[in-house]
Amino acid sequence: MAMVELAAETLFRIGSFPVTNTLTEIVIVDALIIAGIVLLNKNIKKIPGAFQNLVEIVVDGFYGLTESISPKSAMSIFPYFMSLFVFILLANWLSLFPGFGTVGLKSKEGIIAFLRAGGSDINFTLALAIIATIATQVLAIKTIGIKHHLARYFSFNPIFLFVGLLEILSIFTNVVSLSFRLFGNIFAGDVVLTTISQMFAFILPLPFMALEIIVGLVQALVFAMLTMAFMAILTTPHNEGGEH
Amino acid sequence: MNILQEFGVNPLLLAAQIVNFLIILYLLKRFAYKPIFKMLNDRKKTIAEGIKNAEEAAKALEKATEEEKKVLRKAQEEAQRILSDAKNQADATMSEARDTARKQVEQMLDDARAKIAEDTKAMEKQLAVSTAAMAVDLLKQSVKDIFTAKEQQEAVNKLSKKISKKN
Repeated sequence: MAMVELAAETLFRIGSFPVTNTLTEIVIVDALIIAGIVLLNKNIKKIPGAFQNLVEIVVDGFYGLTESISPKSAMSIFPYFMSLFVFILLANWLSLFPGFGTVGLKSKEGIIAFLRAGGSDINFTLALAIIATIATQVLAIKTIGIKHHLARYFSFNPIFLFVGLLEILSIFTNVVSLSFRLFGNIFAGDVVLTTISQMFAFILPLPFMALEIIVGLVQALVFAMLTMAFMAILTTPHNEGGEH
Repeated sequence: MNILQEFGVNPLLLAAQIVNFLIILYLLKRFAYKPIFKMLNDRKKTIAEGIKNAEEAAKALEKATEEEKKVLRKAQEEAQRILSDAKNQADATMSEARDTARKQVEQMLDDARAKIAEDTKAMEKQLAVSTAAMAVDLLKQSVKDIFTAKEQQEAVNKLSKKISKKN
């Protein structure tokens, strides 16, 4: 019986660099995104085709959502929000295709799958959380200035100073919560699907697959929306949001 | 460190994932969002221009209709004025012509009357002369056998003088 390891399995190494089965999935996601970009740029017209229309609806919808939450910084926040959503969603949904987690190399421990959900690798989710957090801080400094940004964390008032220290702590907890939430959900889904597929090959895994489709969408949306919310909060000047 | 190893945290993989996402983020930003926003803005502009043009066209049409009505009203007024002027002028011309004609007729009548009078006078004169000549001839014929040539001549002269005096 195949087990799902907590860490992504290494398929081979390039020097000291380990090529894991989650990395191969991410490479496919990259290829899909690049193919989409090429296809879009090749056929972009004033009167859109089906693909362009779909992309325009999604982009316009997401931009409208960003604008409704942060009207002033929508243009800066939107690329992160949209890219995180698309990237995570594709990584989550791609792992539901046949062959993921099942086709691989036979080893002593069992089968080492060639492909595994990117979200089930903490390196992937942690990388995205780190980027989201750093981008949030950079955007905040760019938008409201370093003085105002630091005023959010440091104050001569002991109560505000304590709140500021908690805020600093929350930066790190945000990284942990963002990365582990996504990792936990996708990894758990991976485990459930692998287990159920080994118990019942047909029909029974279908509801779980459907559930994973929803989980994949929701988790991508949660990660992207939280990042957007953090960005919107931090790019709003300290006084605009109301006094402490 | 054990927990991190357990979860498979690897600095190299972490760095690779960060770089990978940053590349994807750049590609999406540069080659997907930018052209889509440009296209959406262009389309918005085109639609806005279309609506603006349609509104302007509607306004222009309304203005043209108003202008047309104004011009028509003006033309009608002008036509009415011209018609009225023409009627007045025609009336005046007719009246003038009538007066001229009346005058001409009166003149012609006067002329005709004068001519008739003149002709009558001339004819009367002519008639008198003819009558005298006839009387002389008649006298000559009547007295030819009774009087001598000298007496005849005297009687004729006397008659002629009488007629001349009468005329």
